[in-house]
Amino acid sequence: MSLRIDPATTVEPGRHRAAAVEPARPPISPAGNGRGRGTPESRRRRKKVMKHGAAITVLSLWSIFALAPIAWIVMMSLKLPADIVAYPPRFVFQPTLANYVEILSGPEFMTPFVNSLIVTAGSLVLTLIIGLPTAYALARFKFKGRENIAFSILSLRFAPELLIILPLYLIFQNAGLYDSYLGLILAYQLVTLPMLVWMLRSFIEDLPAELEEAVAVDGGTRWTAFRHVLFRLIAPGLGASLMLSFIWAWNSYTLPLVLSGKNTQVITTGIQQYIAYQSIDWGPMAAATVVSLIPGILFALFSLRWIVGGLTAGTVKG
Amino acid sequence: MTYGPGRLPSGAGRDSHDRDRGDALKHKPYLPYLLVLPALALLVAILYPFLTGVWWSFNSYRLNRGAPEFNWGKNFLTLFSTGEGLHAVGITLTYAIVVVVIECVLGIGLAMLLNFGRYGNVFRLLIVLPLLLPPVVAALMWKVMLTENGVVNWLLESAGQTKLLWLNGPDSALWSVVLIDVWIFTPFVVLLAQAGLKSVPKELTEASSVDGAGPIRNFLSVTLPMIMPVLIVIITFRGIDSLKMFDIIYTTTKGGPVDATTNLHVLAYLDGIRNLNFGMAMAALLVLWLLCYLISHFLLKARRKEAMA
Repeated sequence: MSLRIDPATTVEPGRHRAAAVEPARPPISPAGNGRGRGTPESRRRRKKVMKHGAAITVLSLWSIFALAPIAWIVMMSLKLPADIVAYPPRFVFQPTLANYVEILSGPEFMTPFVNSLIVTAGSLVLTLIIGLPTAYALARFKFKGRENIAFSILSLRFAPELLIILPLYLIFQNAGLYDSYLGLILAYQLVTLPMLVWMLRSFIEDLPAELEEAVAVDGGTRWTAFRHVLFRLIAPGLGASLMLSFIWAWNSYTLPLVLSGKNTQVITTGIQQYIAYQSIDWGPMAAATVVSLIPGILFALFSLRWIVGGLTAGTVKG
Repeated sequence: MTYGPGRLPSGAGRDSHDRDRGDALKHKPYLPYLLVLPALALLVAILYPFLTGVWWSFNSYRLNRGAPEFNWGKNFLTLFSTGEGLHAVGITLTYAIVVVVIECVLGIGLAMLLNFGRYGNVFRLLIVLPLLLPPVVAALMWKVMLTENGVVNWLLESAGQTKLLWLNGPDSALWSVVLIDVWIFTPFVVLLAQAGLKSVPKELTEASSVDGAGPIRNFLSVTLPMIMPVLIVIITFRGIDSLKMFDIIYTTTKGGPVDATTNLHVLAYLDGIRNLNFGMAMAALLVLWLLCYLISHFLLKARRKEAMA
């Protein structure tokens, strides 16, 4: 079910059929070019060129739509205030790194950035400790209540965040967990745990149980089978699930908005302070935006196909 | 690759008998429970705030006016009799339906184009990029571009059109937020739809073309039924996420102008954190939760049925 791109399956349908239907097609001679304009063969080729031309045009247009805002913000982050507020907007300007210097040297950006790293990393560790055994048990054992547990975990993902967070706000204040790393890490499990369990379970299910049985036949225990066989095989999937959980936690907004105060402000809430009180600090805000995009882009370079495989688990056959 | 009915897809939420073969390895009967124990503990721990919240929704509870006081569901009555709640439900549903329809149409269309040729791999990387940004940050970027003297209005003026109010207009605010949502989340549909389309065997569409089916007929009768399971997953995720959309709306408009973009989730935040009226906030959240739950239940059931078929 992985999304590996198989060259054999990406052949255009037209070529595929031409080869199958007309195996005895004579080689095209140079002289035949002009004469063959009206033949079904050349008409089909012209249709194919037009089809791919149209596809590439549409895809290019959408790519521009997708990239233009990002390009605009990158440009803005390199501008001086005068260039930023200019109207009509300036596309040619003297680039400056002043905005980056400002955000990277002051606490307004660096504190939330470091807080985000701490909270996200802590959440991932906790999610892994809770989620990996759960995913394994849900994938490999049949036991009473299994589907109910699986559904309950997944339903956390489908509940509105504030449903839990709003009561937690008061509970945390009474328990001294409000505005603390521990409180945030606990609350972030709402975001990270369901998806990790859901994806990891499908990765493990995709591996034949015979692998572990073979270890048992050779006298190994379930633990050796897990450690030496299964764990190595799910490692890429585990890495991708962790990356995705990282992104989800990093992007999370509602939870820190309610549960973190001055001390534990994270990047998604911290970046909002540039637009407080009517006056917008455009340059530093744009620079902060660009820096906060980096984890996602790194992630894109990592790998997407495992994620898609995990999300579509069991629905894509083959 | 097998396409036939021979292979039972293994996946969450359904019974496939080949999963039980792991039991050939002996294990103590309590082992699975031991392994899920931490997750169970967390679930039980979450029950406490959840039930507390449900209790509050049946209470008159303002943080600045002392302890909760049971009021027999008057919050729900208020929510729907003042028009505030109905309006928020309307915004919630409009937003979710519009966003899911637009994103599915665009996403599936783009995914089909990506599967045409090898250039798809290059375009995919570009198209996916918006999905990887924090939605809050992406929304902020758009807010910057959609200001009165922003770059989008400049483009409009250059094209001979008049400037628009975008996020500041009572009529255009909701559509501006929809635009941002489409920009961020269409790639999500593209990624999943592309995976689904890969499972449609070329031979099937070719065979129906040979039988005289046009491209539209081909899509509706062959491709669409084949990608139905993936489409259900897409609609489940996008549907629920847009029902409970908060990040984009709160970052760009805070629910305004006035209440033009106040959906249930934003309403609950404004009620709870702004007005400290936790009773009303929890009532709105319970209504939203019910909506999400109904849809996830319905769609997960449909998915199970698809998987069995």
